[in-house]
Amino acid sequence: MARGRNLGKSARPAPSSRKTANALGYAKRHTLKSKALSAGDLGDVYEYQQDKVRRSKVKLQLERDEMGGARSGSEEEEEGPAAKRKDARPRLVGENDDDDAIGEDEDEEIDSDEAFEESDNERYAGFSFTEKKKTGTKSKSKKKADAGRAVRFAEVDLNEDSDGVQPEAEIEDASEASDGDDDDEEEEGDPSEFIDVLDVLDGRGDPESEDEHQDVQKTGSSKKADVARTSEDEDEDDEMNSEEESEEDEDEDEDEDEDEDDKMDSASEPEDEEDDTALQHLEQFVSGLDAGQKRKAPDEDDSKDADPKPAARKRRLLPERTELGAENEFAAALSGGKLNLDDLLAPLEGQSSNLASLKKSAKVLASTSGKVRTLSAPLPQRTAEKLDREAAYEQTKEEVDKWKATMQRIKEAEHLSFPLQAEPKSRTSNLELAAKFKPTTELESAVDKLLKSAKMREDEIAQTETLKMNHLSVEEVAARRAELAKMRDLMFRAEAKAKRVSKIKSKTYRRLKKKERARLAAKLGEGSDDDLDDEEARLKREVDRARERATLRHKNTGKWAKAMRERGELDEDQRRDINEMLDRGERLRKKIRGEGDSGDEGSDDDASDEEGEDGAARIKSRAFDELAALDVDDSETPAGKSKSIFEMKFMKDAMAREQRKADEIADDFVKEMGGGDPDADDDADAEDGDQPSGAIIQRVGGRVVYRPGALNTGVRPVGSLASDTSSVTLKSTDLPPEARDSPPDNSPPGSPVSQRRVPPPTDEVNPWIAQTSNKGGLTKHEVAISKESATAEKSKNKLRKRVKNRLEEKAKALEDAAVDVSLSTVMTLANGSEAGPSKAGQSSKSKSSSKSASVAKGKARAPHDDDDSDSDANSEVEEQESALARKGKGKVKAFEQRDLVALAFAGDNVVQDFADAKRREIQEDAPKEVDTTLPGWGTWGGTGTKKAPPKPHFIKKIAGVDPTTRADYKKTHVVISEKRDKKAAKYQVKDLPFPYTSKAQFDRSMEVPLGTEWNTRLGFQRATLPKVVTKMGKLITPLEKHA
Amino acid sequence: MVKISVLQHAPSTHLPARPGDPTPTSRNLDPLMHPFARARERTRALNAVKMERMFAKPFIASLEGHVDAVETMARKPETLDIVASGSWDGGLIVHDVSRRTRLLQIEDAHKGKVSGVCFGQDDRLLSCGVDRNIKLWDSHKGFEQDESAAGPSARKPISIFPGKTAFNSIDHHRYDPLFATGSNLVQVWDETKSAAISNLTLPTSTETVTAVRFNLAEASVLASIGSDRSFTLYDIRTGKAERRIIMQMRSNALSWSPTFPTTVLLASEDHNLYTFDIRALNTPTQIYKAHVAAVMSCDWSPTGLEFVSGGWDRTVRIWKEGAGTQPEVYHTKRMQRVTSTLYSGDSRFVLSGSDDGNVRIWKAHASDKLGIVTARERAAIEYRQGLKARWKGDAEVSKIARTRHLPRPVHKAAQLKREMLDAARVKEERRRKHTRAGENKPKAARKKVVIAEQS
Repeated sequence: MARGRNLGKSARPAPSSRKTANALGYAKRHTLKSKALSAGDLGDVYEYQQDKVRRSKVKLQLERDEMGGARSGSEEEEEGPAAKRKDARPRLVGENDDDDAIGEDEDEEIDSDEAFEESDNERYAGFSFTEKKKTGTKSKSKKKADAGRAVRFAEVDLNEDSDGVQPEAEIEDASEASDGDDDDEEEEGDPSEFIDVLDVLDGRGDPESEDEHQDVQKTGSSKKADVARTSEDEDEDDEMNSEEESEEDEDEDEDEDEDEDDKMDSASEPEDEEDDTALQHLEQFVSGLDAGQKRKAPDEDDSKDADPKPAARKRRLLPERTELGAENEFAAALSGGKLNLDDLLAPLEGQSSNLASLKKSAKVLASTSGKVRTLSAPLPQRTAEKLDREAAYEQTKEEVDKWKATMQRIKEAEHLSFPLQAEPKSRTSNLELAAKFKPTTELESAVDKLLKSAKMREDEIAQTETLKMNHLSVEEVAARRAELAKMRDLMFRAEAKAKRVSKIKSKTYRRLKKKERARLAAKLGEGSDDDLDDEEARLKREVDRARERATLRHKNTGKWAKAMRERGELDEDQRRDINEMLDRGERLRKKIRGEGDSGDEGSDDDASDEEGEDGAARIKSRAFDELAALDVDDSETPAGKSKSIFEMKFMKDAMAREQRKADEIADDFVKEMGGGDPDADDDADAEDGDQPSGAIIQRVGGRVVYRPGALNTGVRPVGSLASDTSSVTLKSTDLPPEARDSPPDNSPPGSPVSQRRVPPPTDEVNPWIAQTSNKGGLTKHEVAISKESATAEKSKNKLRKRVKNRLEEKAKALEDAAVDVSLSTVMTLANGSEAGPSKAGQSSKSKSSSKSASVAKGKARAPHDDDDSDSDANSEVEEQESALARKGKGKVKAFEQRDLVALAFAGDNVVQDFADAKRREIQEDAPKEVDTTLPGWGTWGGTGTKKAPPKPHFIKKIAGVDPTTRADYKKTHVVISEKRDKKAAKYQVKDLPFPYTSKAQFDRSMEVPLGTEWNTRLGFQRATLPKVVTKMGKLITPLEKHA
Repeated sequence: MVKISVLQHAPSTHLPARPGDPTPTSRNLDPLMHPFARARERTRALNAVKMERMFAKPFIASLEGHVDAVETMARKPETLDIVASGSWDGGLIVHDVSRRTRLLQIEDAHKGKVSGVCFGQDDRLLSCGVDRNIKLWDSHKGFEQDESAAGPSARKPISIFPGKTAFNSIDHHRYDPLFATGSNLVQVWDETKSAAISNLTLPTSTETVTAVRFNLAEASVLASIGSDRSFTLYDIRTGKAERRIIMQMRSNALSWSPTFPTTVLLASEDHNLYTFDIRALNTPTQIYKAHVAAVMSCDWSPTGLEFVSGGWDRTVRIWKEGAGTQPEVYHTKRMQRVTSTLYSGDSRFVLSGSDDGNVRIWKAHASDKLGIVTARERAAIEYRQGLKARWKGDAEVSKIARTRHLPRPVHKAAQLKREMLDAARVKEERRRKHTRAGENKPKAARKKVVIAEQS
């Protein structure tokens, strides 16, 4: 750091003879060491102890010899932290030689600037400050030791008599480097200045105060020094340890710190200059004694091996010795050494009690005047300001960074409603209102006056109460409290009950409650009427009455009349009115009776009038009811008469015949009327269960369905049904060829193939359901066809449809005309149809057609869902029956099921068809060239003309899909359509929109529609809530810091 | 007897439970009953976006009164629409935008152009001009005196703060009675003192400061831009210029975000706008590219989510924060170079002052409906917005939403610019291709903006 850089600068002198110098220095050290060992002075006490560690002793030696730097204890104190830092990376003596070359090249000034730009800036930006602080704190702990050393050294100086030549040399060096040192000083000052700025920003203090602080520290340390003197031995031990540690550190850090090598240069140099001649040393010493004090840094670095403190001790000693040598008023000036504070204090040694305090107070002076020390020059303004700015920026950044969380939240918010920092809405409490209240109107002021006079106003009430309470006896107070408690309890109970009651959901309970309430209200109303004769209530009653008069004058059941009646006592007017009303009602009724001969009940008539349209339906239903009643009668009569003529067989037969006829008629009637009779159906079903033959008849008598003979076209073999649904592209290739080729009407359309079917249990007519279901089926079919898209198929389909329509019409006509269908024809036809499955298909097909027919006819005889299932079941049953019958007859007995299937699929080469279809598809899609030349245009005609090749611009190229690039290329079992679905393309996006990261995510977001049709109201609102909500005319203020 | 069943409707099923509630809808929520959801919604989205374009009529009014170009505008803080504008002829007008009246008009507020105006505390108005004076006006008196025939020219400023050089910009502290000016110095003044109380100028700077602005949330932070292509950050607490960046091109205007206190917006001469985070000034956080000439002015919406910029290309553009392209663009036949722009206090309107001497009022959202919007209508609007947002990826929808008809010169300029930029890019690519691999790497556009960061 700054300290280190100082050292770097002092590396100016040429280090040419460094090695030799080192060697010499080493020799000297040894000699000195032996001398020192022989001389047993105060210093030796320490040395003795240091002797435990060999190296440390050497250090001490070295310091004594080489470290001549004019350096005082206080200075050392000041630089304590820096020194400490240095301790972390000490060097061995020998190393410095290697580092030298680098150090030399560097120019001082440039060096300083550059260094600042690069590394130090960063450090100052935050890191080094903290470090500094840390070191500062650490140093405080260490300071004791330092101080101890410093003072101790001074003492040692006093006692020691060693030659001053060597130290002088050092001092001379220092003077030489004084120019550079000035700079160094500035930078030395840096760290402290940085701290100042930071502190200023932090608000901890300003630079001045910081300086003061430092001074205080110094003084403090000096105090400590005194203390330390007492416990010197311990300190010494500490010292030793720290030194050892530093040595170890040194070894470790050697490789790491490159830039510190520069600093080391300076460290090495003083050594080099040791071997300058003694004379020179002397001269230089005399001249440069003042500046010499700055040699601290080199000293320290030199003393990486040795303890820096002893060196200081040495230095201290020199000037005193000279003074001692020449003890007159002129000699002091001649010697060049400045008068020290200590010198002045020396005579006072005797009064030790005074001296201590005096020294303390004079310490501040001593730090400046005692040493020959110049104030460190301030940093160049530019640099200083730059550093200030840096620090200020950091501070501002820190300040601004407090918004980070807020900004983050705003950024990430799903919805923002501006203004963001809405004023907190405080609800005005009663107390607040009461406090603010000032009577404005007369009434208010009157009330206020009253309250005031009674001392019952809000602010006084407590006081008055307490006053009153003062006069109460104990019993009274107790009673009051008991009453209050009771009230509270009652209130609580009532509340609880109300809560319970409000949760009752029973309707009857509610009704009862309501009635009760009404009664109560009526009672209350009477009471109120009596005493107040409420104007409003009367008005309301009048309105009621007027309304009644306008509508129901003939009745006394109106609200008003009821109310009147309930009231009991009527005045004349009212009675008259009621009478009039009743009269009118009577007259009306009479009138009705006189004119309408059939309808004797007015209410009935009214009802019928009201319903109007429903009249016909009603009549119908009544007729049905009658029919049902008849049926019931019929069924009951025979049961009732057990032994009579009707019980005889022929009578029974005749009756049955009659019955059947009647049933038929009834059925016909029912059918005509379009109303399904559930009873009849039930009967039919019952009879089905009873007797099969009867069931057949009933069926015949019930719904009769006609259908064309064979609608093979639409029919598919049962086995191939699955393929129909599997793929659109498969088309109808799997249709049996004969089915495709065979003419649509195999059987004559005229021949009625009637299916015995249970008439659908339609007690209610719901044409919508029927129609929609049917339509759905039809549309589905059409869609399928259209997708198959082969024109041939389309045309075929059309043909099929047309045939179907024709057949249906015919069937309709037939149905209208003939009701009777002989069972035999049905049977024969059923037998005549060759194969089971095909027949089944037929039947189902015809069923559907019949359905459509019936719908088209408009007869509301739509099949229900259950009806469908019924019919399906029936068809299955029929199929089985027919199969049984066939077996019974023995005609198709030889056929096994397998054979039947084989027969059914005879000639149905599905695979081949599929391959063909695929080939066709591929051909269609393949790129084509179409010659669009119009024949006869642009060419010569006549005989002998050659046909010219088509002109290229008439050849239209259709870029289809190359067969080899198809997706289903070499996949024989599938056809993958290469056609682009233009309509679907609209709803697809080319690439994933921005905020989404995956297709699935995007799909999910698009899955649920936004609109109200697909969402609940709340869901809709939530989904469409805009991200930013502002209000027109609502001021939005910038964010504010809230204290 | 025939039993008659009477149809009965419980009112609770078809009437709102409480007066304010919406009427219960009787519809089937089964999605199967509403097929083709996607198709229908897409069509609706398409209609919505078409409607948006159809109803995009942003221009509301023009406020006249200035003889020369409007140089500067400022909205009175804590108000919606009290706006002061100063022009090149030295005139100063305080507009009441909603009533479209002039609350105060001073014909010769300054000799030469009024280069900056701002509102101080207590209805005071500060203006600075190239006549080297800052003048403090009492605008409140003006509000009252407007009817009286005192005459605008008779007005005298409360106080005059003389300066040494022409002032270019002025801005008032949000809370304290301090204001900052930019001339060739950045100075901070007290309203009650006749001389500047501090000079924050960076010692090394020799530039002309073109604009100074106080941060809004962090009121002591100040920023300036100068002719030296610099942006400088100050803090009046430390009383220092703290950091300066030098950019590729100089900026013409700056504005602090009201909701993001670290964000500052610069309108640059290089046709772009930049937002910077003052915590990291080495790169802009976003570049906004669409103008085809220098951007002359910019102002944040009070929401801090949008901002408006006016350019030398005679267009006003409204940007969404963080979306660097395709801003809304407003232009009029008669609108000249836009020299100042401003948002209204509720973020619904935008003002632009231009070379033609008019202050124009625009809607901030072109197709907004002015006037009362019922709940139903709002729901419909919100639904449309939602649909637009959802289907913005759809080609047709996005195309309609994107397309703007621009004046021919602007369109042509945009074309030309695109071409030039493409050419430059291609050239750069070729150059790179023919140098040794890895020698010069492509540099992100964001990294190119700041040349140096100084402290």
